[in-house]
Amino acid sequence: MSGGSQYVVAAYAVIWFLVLAYVVVLGARTARIGRQVEAISRMLDRRDQREEQPDSEPDPEPEPSGDRA
Amino acid sequence: MTEGPARMPGERAAVIWGSIATLLVVVSTIGIFLVAPEDADQGVIQRIFYFHVAIAIASLVAFAVACVAGILYLRTRNDRWDDVGEASIRIGLLFSVLVVITGSIWAKASWGTWWVWSDPRLVTYLIVVLIYAAYFVLRSSAEDDRKMRYSAIYAIAGFASVPLSFYSVRVAESFVHPVVFTSGGANMPGSMLIWFVVSQAAMLALFIALLEVDLVGRRSERALRRLALRLEGT
Repeated sequence: MSGGSQYVVAAYAVIWFLVLAYVVVLGARTARIGRQVEAISRMLDRRDQREEQPDSEPDPEPEPSGDRA
Repeated sequence: MTEGPARMPGERAAVIWGSIATLLVVVSTIGIFLVAPEDADQGVIQRIFYFHVAIAIASLVAFAVACVAGILYLRTRNDRWDDVGEASIRIGLLFSVLVVITGSIWAKASWGTWWVWSDPRLVTYLIVVLIYAAYFVLRSSAEDDRKMRYSAIYAIAGFASVPLSFYSVRVAESFVHPVVFTSGGANMPGSMLIWFVVSQAAMLALFIALLEVDLVGRRSERALRRLALRLEGT
């Protein structure tokens, strides 16, 4: 590379590396939250079902998987 | 037949803006590197201009959005505007850091030095970055309603630094940092200006897409907190 093109490539690469890193962080956070919401929703559904059928055998309530909020 | 998972509000907007941003980024990249003519004075180095200036303007737009969100929060006390304000400043700060880095690279290539302390544009822009970085220190020092109120006031007050940076070059008549856009128009040929406009549109679309994705995440967090409260109540 000549005539300063390496500087142009470096500037462009820095931009997209940092933007991509930011998108990955956002995506990971959103995915984690989504998993937690679904796990808690399932727990609530099971709880509601048990309340509708009080004579049935209580099953152990699983902990929500994934990270804490 | 089972229903699929419910979509969070804003998911569709995030996908649409993400697609628009991706398309514009691809088109602008092709235009900047393959189509736009080479500058007679600076040569290939001038191509940094297309994304350096576009990101700088997008960062200032992000800070303006945060300022408006701050005003709307103080008027309505709706948490949504606090979310918009914080997300905008977070993205604006990311863009500002990119402006400083790409500017330094351009300075090294063009002037032979990474930073010029005597240039008013560089110094005032750095002040803007530091002011908005302090926003997160403020947020971490307060809780709940006070945090949102202080953040809104800070976002409004902080925006006063943006015109300072914008007009510093014109007021100080710096000869180091070139002024491309003047009251008389753009000091560049139309064949370059068109690719700058495309690049600017790409950066603004990227800002909106990142903002939408961030807001979807925050809404999900709120939904999670509501579910946790429901669990505690049963």
